[in-house]
Amino acid sequence: MPDRSPRPAASGLWSLLDELGMDELAARQRATELDILTMGITFTVYSDGENIDRAWPFDVVPRIIPGDEWSQVERGLAQRLRAVNMFIDDLYNEQRIIADGVFPGELLEDSVNFRPECVGARPKFGVWAHISGSDLVRDDDGTFYVLEDNLRVPSGVSYVLENRAVTKRAFPELFGHNRIRPVDTYTDALNKLLASLAPDGVVEPTLAVLTPGIFNSAYFEHSFLAQRMGAELVEGGDLVVGDDDCVYMHTTAGRQRVHVIYRRIDDLFLDPEAFRPDSMLGVPGLMRAWKAGNVGIANAPGAGVADDKCVYAWMPDIIRYYLDEAPQIANVPTYRCMYDDEREYVLDHLDELVMKPANESGGYGITIGSSATEEALTACAEAILDDPRNWVAQPIINLSTVPTLIDGELQLRHVDLRPFILTGESSYVTAGGLTRVALREGSLIVNSSQGGGSKDTWIVDEPNGDPLGDRSQQQSQQQSSDGGGVA
Amino acid sequence: MALLSRNAGRIYWAARYLERAEDLSRLVQSYGELIDDLPSDDDSVSRWGALLAVLGQDDGASLVDVPERDVIRRLVSDADQSGSVGFCVAAARENLRTTREVLPREAWRSVNDLSLFIRDEVVRAEDRRFRDRVLNRIIDDSRRLDGILTSSMSRDDAWEIWRLGRYFERADMTTRVVGVRAASLMAYRSSTLAFDEVHWMGVLRSLSALQMYQRATRGPIEATSVVQFLLFDRSFPRAVAFCLDEIDRCLDRLTRPERVRGAVDTARDALMSVMATTTDGADLDQAMEWVQLLLGKVNDAITDRYLSIDGG
Repeated sequence: MPDRSPRPAASGLWSLLDELGMDELAARQRATELDILTMGITFTVYSDGENIDRAWPFDVVPRIIPGDEWSQVERGLAQRLRAVNMFIDDLYNEQRIIADGVFPGELLEDSVNFRPECVGARPKFGVWAHISGSDLVRDDDGTFYVLEDNLRVPSGVSYVLENRAVTKRAFPELFGHNRIRPVDTYTDALNKLLASLAPDGVVEPTLAVLTPGIFNSAYFEHSFLAQRMGAELVEGGDLVVGDDDCVYMHTTAGRQRVHVIYRRIDDLFLDPEAFRPDSMLGVPGLMRAWKAGNVGIANAPGAGVADDKCVYAWMPDIIRYYLDEAPQIANVPTYRCMYDDEREYVLDHLDELVMKPANESGGYGITIGSSATEEALTACAEAILDDPRNWVAQPIINLSTVPTLIDGELQLRHVDLRPFILTGESSYVTAGGLTRVALREGSLIVNSSQGGGSKDTWIVDEPNGDPLGDRSQQQSQQQSSDGGGVA
Repeated sequence: MALLSRNAGRIYWAARYLERAEDLSRLVQSYGELIDDLPSDDDSVSRWGALLAVLGQDDGASLVDVPERDVIRRLVSDADQSGSVGFCVAAARENLRTTREVLPREAWRSVNDLSLFIRDEVVRAEDRRFRDRVLNRIIDDSRRLDGILTSSMSRDDAWEIWRLGRYFERADMTTRVVGVRAASLMAYRSSTLAFDEVHWMGVLRSLSALQMYQRATRGPIEATSVVQFLLFDRSFPRAVAFCLDEIDRCLDRLTRPERVRGAVDTARDALMSVMATTTDGADLDQAMEWVQLLLGKVNDAITDRYLSIDGG
């Protein structure tokens, strides 16, 4: 039974909720829903052969994470992405980590995300995965684990910013008094990062967000990011690679040079000359332009090689190998069945573990030991013995829950968290990230297309221990005198 | 600042659809007022069908007795009906949804808000008591959007393309109203002059032109001078000549406008040559069709030059 009393960082919110009562809270929930509708905050779902633009699902009760805990997560994520990028750069160049026997070369040969077309490429700062979104879960003992690294085209950051904008209007009482870290700086940081990827000598680069088009499920986000950065939002057909191997866009004033592309389409659709020849989304010659150093692309083609499930299992080794540091954020312990001792452990503990085939995605082929039948476990053991390299296993994690407004009352629902990490010359981690919540009782499915909701995520700093000194002391006195930050 | 050709297309059409929604709303509104003021020999016969002719939606079928509700559905409330107010607002929203990075954020919110209102409330326009409220909202919001853009948008290519769309659609609508309505009024004058005046007032109202016409002419409402005002006035913003002048001004600020300008000059020459023939209704009708044809060529030239990838 988890402890249900709120943590100190959440006290301001909880005393306000107590004061408001459930009717007022429900009214504020309805007001935010209307807000979302008129602001046109949507996501697109494909249903009944049609693409429908739906209002973004949102729960008004914020999720709270104490600032000191979050600072640790931030350090861990920045460290993790630094190492991941050194790993990718190494794989496409010297492959030292394989030569040194830390990462098995045969895994690379099997990888569907390794792009031979990228071998020898040297993107700026040695960074390939500039923008990543890591899925975190919190165990019932409070530890944050990285569940998955999304290094290709992670989405959701626009909703982090919009959720905050909506929540500010829902709880204006709280923002003045509590130390809630702002999230709005993300687009500025992204802008700077993208500009830093421009070809050498370009002072005011033209940035473009490359979208698959207006029917894509993340189109809202592509548009949002372009708006916030003053970037052009382009589709493949808007761009052309000239004879000079530079990228241009078609405008009312003729062709104009594009210096950096934040692409939101998958590798294989980027350039029909290099990858899938039937792709209508990409730009013929884009890879040529990128390799010639005439355009920056984020994320770099081929960056996805490091978000395989297999690579995940090696992440602690990767961090130690490149940085000579201990990992600062936990990986879910992952047993690799290709190694004899780890396989023995898995086969002895099948009923306590989740077994995952490494080359499947979307939860396909997963066996959850605690709820599987005897026959299923036997079948799973056979499959592992048959092809040990393709199997990993992890302990079952009890996902944390947070209070959520359901049918007019607060109930506990499972959540995950996706912070976004920017890596270039330096690192940036969003304050919090996108909290997705499974609205059905007991459910672990948080996807917005399948009935999941979202919440604003507050990183709340405690008044004491703040490095700002005098000013913060004054504030904390004020806060304690007016009752823990709630006026 | 240059504009992606694809976005130019979306902005141009957003402007045209919104202008069409506004103009159509006003036309339906003033037509209702006009009918109220005209005694009818037989109340059982609907006179709403004539409105479909202005918009070229008569499909050649008889317009004598189309029920009011059917006309309102076709022109206003049925969003599946291409060219209806509901259709135009939805199309304008979709075009602005996909150019949010170009236009000020308030512009999108304003149109999104209007489209939510229309989605839920436009059906009430079928009821005469609520019709004005719905139509006024569209007219007001369309103008509010112009206000938002005028006061918060940089004068870049996107701005000029928006204005191109607005003035083109406006010119087109004015020629339609003048062509069909005015021509039929001139050819089949009603017996008493009093009603004639009411008709012409209706035409002016449907183009928001009554007050400015009266200020400009300081005289009675009279067929020839109304037509001249609506076609040739250089200072009234819904007059065709004024709209063409504004299109020229947009072209001044866009690159390589030569071919579009050529098309505008041809349309203007055609318009001016109409002057001599305005007293005869059938001639005027034909002349307006001719001008509309040449306006169509202006639209083609704009499309080729600015809205197409690698435009001439």
